[in-house]
Amino acid sequence: MNATVYRLSRGVRLRRETDGEAMLLVPEGIVTLNDTAAAALELADGSRDLDAIVAVLAERFDAPQDTLAQDVRDLFDAMLSRGFITG
Amino acid sequence: MSGVAQPRSLLCELTYRCNLQCPYCYNPLNLGRPSDELSRDEWLTAIDEALALGVVQFGFSGGEPTLRAADLVALVARATAGSGYTNLITQGTFLDDRLLDELLEAGLAHVQVSIQAPERELAAAIAGTDVHERKVEVLRRVRRRDVALTLNCVLHRLNHDTLPEVLAFAEREGIRRLELANVQFYGWAYRNRAALMPTRAQVEGGAELVAAARARLAGAMDITYVLPDYFEERPKPCMHGWGRLALTITPDGRILPCPAATSIETLTFPNLRSSALRDAWYVSDAFNRYRGTAWMPEPCRSCERREIDWGGCRCQAFLLTGDAAATDPACALSPDHQLVTVYRDAPATSTLVPRRPDPALR
Repeated sequence: MNATVYRLSRGVRLRRETDGEAMLLVPEGIVTLNDTAAAALELADGSRDLDAIVAVLAERFDAPQDTLAQDVRDLFDAMLSRGFITG
Repeated sequence: MSGVAQPRSLLCELTYRCNLQCPYCYNPLNLGRPSDELSRDEWLTAIDEALALGVVQFGFSGGEPTLRAADLVALVARATAGSGYTNLITQGTFLDDRLLDELLEAGLAHVQVSIQAPERELAAAIAGTDVHERKVEVLRRVRRRDVALTLNCVLHRLNHDTLPEVLAFAEREGIRRLELANVQFYGWAYRNRAALMPTRAQVEGGAELVAAARARLAGAMDITYVLPDYFEERPKPCMHGWGRLALTITPDGRILPCPAATSIETLTFPNLRSSALRDAWYVSDAFNRYRGTAWMPEPCRSCERREIDWGGCRCQAFLLTGDAAATDPACALSPDHQLVTVYRDAPATSTLVPRRPDPALR
C-alpha cells in the first residue's frame, strides 16, 4: 500500500497537441511523453496514490497491472528526482 | 522547406538596458539605442507568429526585461493564451509584489533570478551596484508564490571560490532548482575573458563540490553545473543545433539562431521589422547556413558525435578563429584546440571592464 499522492510541481504543465502528442513543459525545457506517461501524469492531480493511478491506467490501456505499475514507478522516480512532480 | 523541424522555443530579449554592470554579461559590446527597441505591438506580433510556427517555450530576458514591466506582463499573457510556457530570466531588482502579482495573473510559469555572489560585498563588487539584499528579498517573495523558481549564479574567477557558500545560501533559502553556470565567453564576457577565466583548481574543485552536494540534496534540490567550454574535451551542443529548435529576437528586432549570434560579423540576420518569423526560420540564409550537418568541415563531418554536438558553437568558432564554419575550438579534435587550452593555466589579469553603465538607471 502506497498512500503518497502525487501532483505536478509548481510551474510544471502538461500539454496536449491537437494530434494527441503530449509534452511536459518544465522550466526552460520540454519533455516529450508517450501515451502511458502522459496519462499517468494527468492522473497525478493530488488526489491519487500510485495504486489508484495504475488501476485507472490498467482499465484504459488493457495492459498487465504489474508491468504498468513498474513503468509508472520508474517514471515517477525520474520525475521526482528532477523535481517535476511532488509526492 | 522539407526536413526542417519547427522551432520550439523563442527567447525575447526585451531590452539591453540594465541597472547592473556585470563584467560577465553576454550582451554585445554595442548595446544599441533604447529608441530602436521593438514596440509592444511588434512583440505581440512576434509571439503570435511564434505560436503559429509551433513554439511552446517562451523566455523573456535582456538586459533586464522587467524594465519594460507593463509590456512584459502583456507578452506573458499573450504567450499563455496561446498555451505557451513562459520563463522570466531576471536579476530581480525590480520584481516587487505588484509586478509579481501581475505576472502570475498573466500566467507566468517560471522565474529565474540571478545572484552575483553569496554575500553582499562581493556581489556589489561584481554587479557594480549594491543590490544583493534586495535580491534576497525577491527570492523569498517568489518562493512563497505558485511559480517555479530557479536560482542562478554565474561562476568565474572572482566568485568561484565562494561555491560552498553559494550552495549553503541556496539551501538556507529553500531553493529547489539551482543553476551554477560557469561564464560563457561572448559579448562583455569575451572582452573580459582573461580576467574572468576560472583556474583549473576552481573548475575541478567545483565539480567535486557539486557532486557531493547533489548526492546530499537528492530529491530536495536539482543542481545544474555547467563546466566552462575552455576546460572541456568536447564542445557543448550549442542550441542543440543551429536553427534546429530555438530562435532569439534582439531588442531591435534581429532574429537569431542563438543569443550570441550577432558576434558573427560575417552573417546578416533577418529583422522582424522586414521579415516574417516563418521566413527567417525556414528560408533565411542566416538560419540555413549552419543548419544540419552538410556545412561541416572535418573532423566534424565524419564524427560520430556530429548529431550530438552539432559541431559545437558557431559564435565561439568565429570569435576564436575568425571562421564561423570551423570546428568549435573547445573540441579536442579541433586543429585550433590550443586556442582554448592556452587559457587553462593562464595567470589572472586585472583588466576587468565593467559593462557600460546606463546613465538613466543609476
